[in-house]
Amino acid sequence: MAELIVHATGIRKTYDTGKLKVEALKGVDLDVRSGEMVAIMGPSGCGKTTLLNCLSGLDEIDSGQVLIDGVVLHDMADDERSDYRARRMGFVFQLYNLLPVLSAVENVELPLLVSGVNPGDAHRRSMEMLDLMGLTERARHLPAELSGGQRQRVTIARALVNQPSIIWADEPTGDLDSETAGEIIDLMCQLNQTNGQSFVLVTHSAEVGDRAHRIVRMRDGQIEDDGLASDNGAASPETGSALAAGE
Amino acid sequence: MEELFGLSMNWIMVGLLAILLPALTVIAFMGWRNRVMLKIGLRNIPRRRAQTALIIVGIMISTLIMAAAFGTGDTINFSIRAQAVDALGPIDEIVIFSRTSAEDSFGSSPYFPYSRYKELEAEFRDLPEIDGMAAGIGEQAPAVNIRNFRGEGRMRIAGVDPTSVSALGSIWSSTGEEVGLDGFEQGEAYINQKAAEELEAQIGDTLRIVVNGSTQILTVKGVVAKGGLAGDQPTIILPLERAQAMFDRPGQVNSIVISNLGDETTGADFSEQVTALLRAYFADKEVASKLGRLLSQPEALAAIEKFGVDQSGDAQENLLRLGSVLKSSQSSSTVLSNELLALLADEDVAEEVVAALDRAERVDDAREADTLFSGLEEFRVIDIKHQVLEIANEAASQVTTIFIVLGLFSILVGVLLIFLIFVMLAAARRSEMGMARAVGATQRHLVQMFVFEGTAYAVVSAAVGVGVGLGVSAIIVLVANQFIETFEEVLRFTHHFELRSAIVAYCLGMVITLGTVAFSAYRVSRMNIVVAIRGLPDVAAPQDASRLARRASALGRSVARPLLFGYAAFRFAAKGSVFSAVGNVGLMVIWVLIFPVWIVDVLTSVVRLVWPYFLQGWLALLLGLLITWAGTSSDLAAPFRIGVSLAIIGIGLMARNGLRRTSMQDESADRLAFTVTGLLLVAFWVLPFSSLRAVAGELDGGPEMFFISGVAMVAATVWTVMNNSDLMLKGLTAIFGRSGRLRPVVITAVAYPMSAKFRTGLTLAMFALVIFTLIVVSILTEAFGTSSENIDFATGNWDIESRVNSTTPIDNINTGIEKSELLSPSDFDAIGGFTTVPIEARQVGAKEGLWKFYAARAADDAFFDSTGHRIKLIADGYGPTETEVWQALKVNPRLAVVDISVVPTRGGFDDNLVDFELEGLHYEDDTMSPIEIEVRDPLTGAIFPITVIGVLDIQTDNFGNMGLGMITSKASLDDALPFPVPITTYRFRLSEGVDAARVARDLDITFRENGLESDELRQVVEDQRAASRAFNNLFTGYMGMGLMVGIAALGVISLRAVVERRQQIGVLRAIGYRRRMIQLSFLMESSFIALLGIAIGVGLGTILSYNIVNDIQDNIETIRFRIPWIQIGVIVAIAYVFSLLTTFLPARQASRIYPAEALRYE
Repeated sequence: MAELIVHATGIRKTYDTGKLKVEALKGVDLDVRSGEMVAIMGPSGCGKTTLLNCLSGLDEIDSGQVLIDGVVLHDMADDERSDYRARRMGFVFQLYNLLPVLSAVENVELPLLVSGVNPGDAHRRSMEMLDLMGLTERARHLPAELSGGQRQRVTIARALVNQPSIIWADEPTGDLDSETAGEIIDLMCQLNQTNGQSFVLVTHSAEVGDRAHRIVRMRDGQIEDDGLASDNGAASPETGSALAAGE
Repeated sequence: MEELFGLSMNWIMVGLLAILLPALTVIAFMGWRNRVMLKIGLRNIPRRRAQTALIIVGIMISTLIMAAAFGTGDTINFSIRAQAVDALGPIDEIVIFSRTSAEDSFGSSPYFPYSRYKELEAEFRDLPEIDGMAAGIGEQAPAVNIRNFRGEGRMRIAGVDPTSVSALGSIWSSTGEEVGLDGFEQGEAYINQKAAEELEAQIGDTLRIVVNGSTQILTVKGVVAKGGLAGDQPTIILPLERAQAMFDRPGQVNSIVISNLGDETTGADFSEQVTALLRAYFADKEVASKLGRLLSQPEALAAIEKFGVDQSGDAQENLLRLGSVLKSSQSSSTVLSNELLALLADEDVAEEVVAALDRAERVDDAREADTLFSGLEEFRVIDIKHQVLEIANEAASQVTTIFIVLGLFSILVGVLLIFLIFVMLAAARRSEMGMARAVGATQRHLVQMFVFEGTAYAVVSAAVGVGVGLGVSAIIVLVANQFIETFEEVLRFTHHFELRSAIVAYCLGMVITLGTVAFSAYRVSRMNIVVAIRGLPDVAAPQDASRLARRASALGRSVARPLLFGYAAFRFAAKGSVFSAVGNVGLMVIWVLIFPVWIVDVLTSVVRLVWPYFLQGWLALLLGLLITWAGTSSDLAAPFRIGVSLAIIGIGLMARNGLRRTSMQDESADRLAFTVTGLLLVAFWVLPFSSLRAVAGELDGGPEMFFISGVAMVAATVWTVMNNSDLMLKGLTAIFGRSGRLRPVVITAVAYPMSAKFRTGLTLAMFALVIFTLIVVSILTEAFGTSSENIDFATGNWDIESRVNSTTPIDNINTGIEKSELLSPSDFDAIGGFTTVPIEARQVGAKEGLWKFYAARAADDAFFDSTGHRIKLIADGYGPTETEVWQALKVNPRLAVVDISVVPTRGGFDDNLVDFELEGLHYEDDTMSPIEIEVRDPLTGAIFPITVIGVLDIQTDNFGNMGLGMITSKASLDDALPFPVPITTYRFRLSEGVDAARVARDLDITFRENGLESDELRQVVEDQRAASRAFNNLFTGYMGMGLMVGIAALGVISLRAVVERRQQIGVLRAIGYRRRMIQLSFLMESSFIALLGIAIGVGLGTILSYNIVNDIQDNIETIRFRIPWIQIGVIVAIAYVFSLLTTFLPARQASRIYPAEALRYE
């Protein structure tokens, strides 16, 4: 059985707006194995994005513990955590969140440069990644000059260029039409299978959920069903790893 | 302050209120009618407090500059008026006798019998406008306090008629008790506080006074408060009889003082009436009749009226009035009206009439009129208080104008900032605005929304600006008082401001801000709805190119706008929409009443109509060539420079359109054409003035050229830089971001400003403009400092100047020195002397034919033999060196050398200290021909011709600060005046190694009886230059206020950037940017703009200063170009550090946002 890459226990998170206190996470436990693709689903406001942000270290937690690759993320200093994100994690967002002032290739280069890769290598690897996404021709275009699907591919390229062990994706197909969304999810599944990287996806889309190894269902800040008991019918991480290894 | 730019401040205030109040009313009405937009417009103000504060600071600068300028002007006006009122007390007019006799002496007024005064007093006693008169004696004599040997060379001796004390207020003791002039023992006198200070005298001290060569002893009976009858200068007050005895003038007086109805200040309101009345009374009726007949001749009358039409201001009014009075007196009766008498007795009118006759070549009439005028008045009436109050107004107006002109750069930068702020606010709210448009809001609604927000900022920031500006003026006054403390006998300023000035400053600030807000709001509200909603770049929107017919019809509509408003009002009224009807009537009234609004409306339509042709280039070229031609034909630098620049822009636009038609990509075509245009413009503006002169000839330009040059140079450079910024930044990224964590930081720091070129370019221009101004002012101050290093130019190689009382001249200074126990003839290398006398002059054959005031320094032979004064221009046939000129003056008393005060310069920096000005000659000329002038003694009316054969170097007597006037031989005055002219000023050149301070002191002691007072010239020059440097630094500081705007602009940009990029900051943090990297990225972004702005400002400022200094070198040989490194370093450091500080807070705020929180932000 693959090793745990995410081991979260008792995660609690409350938002205090001054007038109102909202308990977004009420003691969530979640494990993700290496190479596993997990879809977090649930109604709006159930805490999916909050859970993703807390697990990835983008947000603070009030209590509980998150271990990524055995490292306690929230014990790290902010700079350490930033470095860790740069080297070990990739992010894909619903609104693409590309830097509008940089071209596609420059957007992809950024995580490499932040990790200290020299500019020549960074550029070469970014171009390779864009090539893999079928965007070689669009490398020098600004995000505003790309279609939604193309922008999301650039975002994925940026998330994967550093070969992170885990990719966090928040509604990666939420802003796309069904055809483009299908292409994007195909691409992510293919990458997951080829590279054995773990994916944690927050989604409303049943199609995306169907393609994941496991669906974690949330309601009111708690996990209602973590999918471990049910068989999703999709390929298991082991199968994925085996496929990646060419077995 | 009563006037600004020649307009009454009352009218300026009324005009501004007439613009502002209706504008605010309309805005309030719109707000009331459209509360949703009002709410949307205002809601952001409290939401972003830091941004609001920065915007208010940036916007207030225009008001601040105005308020500071007005506050300073008011202070000067108030202080001069207060001093005048303090000095003159209740005295409004001084009347002196016009007839001189051989018994009168140089430097004092002619005497007349006291009995004549009593007749006049009886005559005027019942006049309601006059509430008191007094006759007396006013003389000057040296005085020494025997107790401590403190002396005052020019002690005023006032003989006061005891019967007049009650009529003109009183004399008050220094402790505030009223003192009379009764009970004086023989030899007793009062002294005023000023005299007590100078002599360090107290009651009971014995004073020695030298009068007409004999010594008189007086005992101090009391110290009285200065002002009024007790005088403002050091004064000894005696009962009239004692003074008559002292000056050997029994039964005689030499002045009458008059107090008008009203108090010490309001009395001047009656000056015009009282002066006219007295002048009419004093006019000799027989002489006046003759004059009336002479001037009523049709030819003379025609000459007067024609000359009057050619004049302006008072001269025009006087002459036309005289013409009509002469005509009506012809027809009515033979009796001379008081109005005609008063006009004829007015010295200004007399001059103007003689000049008119001269101009019409009625030489005999002119001569006869001149003779009749000089014999017309028995007494001259001087409206002294009115004159001083006028001077106060004039000085205040000039100083305010200087401060406003100096502040123009800051005001312009402030206007740019307002525009920038609105461009940014619009960018931030683009999609929101697009959605508003999509759901039915019109463009007008969006304009209103911004106008509401802008008005709120303007209302507050103008109020803050007035407060801070008045504070700044208080600081200016405080600093100015500190500088002038080094000099004796100068005015002390008391900070003061008028409510009217505060209102005008507030209204001006508001009008500037609201105007810019309205323009910006209109500009930013034009958008493509889809592009705005989807957040696409503006380039995706189709260009608004309406058709010619549409633009022409828009122009027609703007011309007929008030009618259209009227028609709309009528239609709304017919439909029953009262509010809309009233609104349209209001707009119609505004368009008609506030005419500039209509003009701006029409001009905007005209610009829109021709804009496409302008962009094609040919119209710009044509317009440029026309303006250039206007410049060269009128010899004006500003239109020439602007015209050539426009022509270059036109050629650039045509080249760009041509290149676009080739296979070249549009982007490359634009870059190439715009870069070359920019470079050509920069090259044109940095060309040395001499090379332009070679092409366009001599062109006149004033201080406005500094402003125009600055704006043009900075705009051209920023334009060129921004067109090539990507290349420059690629280079920068390559250098600073080779590897490591700095590279991603540099990439983002560079990419953002480059993606908003307009915003970046505007900020860059603002920053560069401010730095440019400061650099030019600093370098020029330094350069003028270098010119002062050669003191000999200023002193003419003399070491000491001594002035002696004209009533106690030194018979023979050489004998006096020989007899002295303290001085030795061997101390001196040379001794020269001269007498400065006020004269009137006019140039023979000149357009301006009036007698104008000037001064003559009538020098003795020894002065000519030894003076080292430099001469800039020597008339043909009198050179080649100074020596020949001085010798010519010595031999021929009809020759003179004038100083710079009467010679115009091409630079336009003329002073107005002297009314007289030579025509047909510029200081910059290389040669001159002898110029014939006529000189008249104002006292006796004696006229004598003089030939001007040279112009003194501009630095002579420290740029005229140590004395003004043409230099001529004393023999010319001796010939012209009925009494002997004594030497009143001596200049000494000392032998090698002799201590000037010691000799100056010993000279004062040796010639104490003559009232000699000496100064070391080197010290005088250094003191004056220190003060002038200090004032220059004050001006630099004042102009530095513009820096505040530049810094505020960077702060606003950073704050906006943090808000706009919140989500992107989240992404950067998510992909591994550390907090410090985010912070550094923002700081680098600001640094990039600030440093580039500083570099452009320093570079261009240095080049322009170099050109200016080079050009001035033609006039002032000793001026040198030298960069004040330390001062520039301080300016650069302040600019950079403060711009980083304002960015630091938003940058820190940005870096502290939690990534998840930032990502949630929309």
